[in-house]
Amino acid sequence: MADVLLLERVRKSFGIGTPVEVEVLHGLDLRLEAGEFVALIGPSGSGKSTMLNLIGLLDRPTSGRLVLHGEETTELGDADLTRLRGRSIGFVFQYHHLISAFSAAENVMMPLLLDRGFPTDEMRTRAEELLDQFRLSPWKDQPVLQLSGGQQQRVAIARALAMNPALVLADEPTGNLDTKSADIAFDLMREINEARGTTFLIVTHDPRLARRCDRIVEVVDGMITSDHPNVAVR
Amino acid sequence: MKRWQPFEWIAAIRFLIEGRMQSLFIIAGVTIGVAVIVFMSALLESMTANMMKRTLNAQAHISMVPPDEVARPLRSGSGEIVLTTVQKPTQRIRSIDQWRSIRDDLERHEGVTRVATNVSGSALAARGVSSRSVTILGIEPERYFGIVDLPGNIVAGQARLASDEVVIGIELAKELGVTVGDKLRFTSATGASVILSVSGLFDLGNRGVNIRNAYVALRTGQALLGLIGGATSLEVDVADVYAAEEVAQLVQAETGIEADSWIVTNAQFFNVMNVQTISNTTIRLLVGLSVAFGIASVLVVSVVQRSKEIGILRAMGASRGQILRVFLIQGGVLGLIGSLFGSSLGIAAIYAFHAIAHNPDGSEFFPLILDWRLPTAAAILATATGVAAAMTPALRAARLDPVVAIRG
Repeated sequence: MADVLLLERVRKSFGIGTPVEVEVLHGLDLRLEAGEFVALIGPSGSGKSTMLNLIGLLDRPTSGRLVLHGEETTELGDADLTRLRGRSIGFVFQYHHLISAFSAAENVMMPLLLDRGFPTDEMRTRAEELLDQFRLSPWKDQPVLQLSGGQQQRVAIARALAMNPALVLADEPTGNLDTKSADIAFDLMREINEARGTTFLIVTHDPRLARRCDRIVEVVDGMITSDHPNVAVR
Repeated sequence: MKRWQPFEWIAAIRFLIEGRMQSLFIIAGVTIGVAVIVFMSALLESMTANMMKRTLNAQAHISMVPPDEVARPLRSGSGEIVLTTVQKPTQRIRSIDQWRSIRDDLERHEGVTRVATNVSGSALAARGVSSRSVTILGIEPERYFGIVDLPGNIVAGQARLASDEVVIGIELAKELGVTVGDKLRFTSATGASVILSVSGLFDLGNRGVNIRNAYVALRTGQALLGLIGGATSLEVDVADVYAAEEVAQLVQAETGIEADSWIVTNAQFFNVMNVQTISNTTIRLLVGLSVAFGIASVLVVSVVQRSKEIGILRAMGASRGQILRVFLIQGGVLGLIGSLFGSSLGIAAIYAFHAIAHNPDGSEFFPLILDWRLPTAAAILATATGVAAAMTPALRAARLDPVVAIRG
């Protein structure tokens, strides 16, 4: 299987050159293949979010290699990183972070609109298909703030898939939902993974959800301490 | 979403609509600011144009007269002044030497549009037992009417000047109790006298001119004032009225004839006009600044409120340029909408003021001159101000670190 993501000896420090300089990631190596459904676990403060920011090209490693979808990112400028991020990565956050001035369908269209610049009928069709798949069609034209928490998170997942990205990064995607809504959201991500082969990297504190992933990567104190297939699922 | 609208426009308009209370308040602020600017500009423009019209309606831009006669002190053979007190000579009416060739030269001078020859001097206008002191102006109608629009200001009769005709102002006609067709006797200081028929009455909008000036044909004036073939002044119009003084100094240096521009002869009026322009510009600048700060403050708050959304948009692939433009457009739209309302309000206010304000005699306070370039300029300026005011918050939004923004 082709690599979607490759991290080699990735380090990340903050406050470089100051008395409070601190290294939070100590030479990470990680390889994600297409179609994997991976849980990233670890205690708070272990460096999971920092790792996710680096993988999501929202931040740059201090050293090491980061190859996304076959493209070496280390030397890319801001504009190229933005383009690559928009086309290759979908984000799902704990708090859905939808754009409140837009409807559900428009939020799903947003990554396409940012990429192409102008709205098209195809974008609208694509957004409606995703909302239909996520059983949100009746609310497609509703302002997102009028939807329930579970519905909003489903819209956020649909938005993350709008560009048909190679990799979806989900940071505690169910952390703010009740058990039922959390299961629905997780099942949707799993369905997409199986149907389209989209790679998912899911940060979670919920052992129940982690156990439903194909592979579990554990980070402790800025180092990957375990990385193994989830035999229970297999 | 309209297919022809780019993302930046869509987001900018949606953000403004979503924060509608903030948007409405700042649009109201811009509206008031632009209304003040439009009202004051239109008022000043109308009043200045009116005063200019009144001033230049009855005089040329430059008047050229022979230099004053100077008495030279008596000197001894060795060049020493013998008499230390020299009495100033009285200034008699004199003709300009070689006025025809000077006139022809002036007509070819850069910046000069028209030249007319006059002969002028004082006389007594009498009818029956009534008499008034007047200034006789002997003119060549075809030249002079290009400078002073006498035919356009005739209220009775015609601006016709045969050798036995005179055109006088309405105030003088009232004082002497004459109307078109009546005869008036004019007697000059030299003792010459002539009876002329009133062919027309004018109103140049200036009481002093209306009661003082009596226009006659050049030859009639020359005969009455004892200056056969002479001219006491050359009246000059220039292309740029505000450059009249520079042209006057130039032609004075070239011809040796004293040249006074309307700016010098109306120095007080010109000073008042300058002060008005400066104060109006200052007020417009201050109002413009307050509008700019108002827009900037609203957008700064908007950037803070939307920092998470900006972070998400950046994460989803929005470039810094796209984010920058979203906020610049918001500033421009606030300025544009405010300027449209403000221009309408300002124009309505100037019309209302014009309708209400009257002179003590009931006549209009000022003729309303509304240049339609003013609201257009206001709209362009306010939009540009809005965009400029939005620059700081827009840059702040564009520079937001998406990681920090999303974390909040």
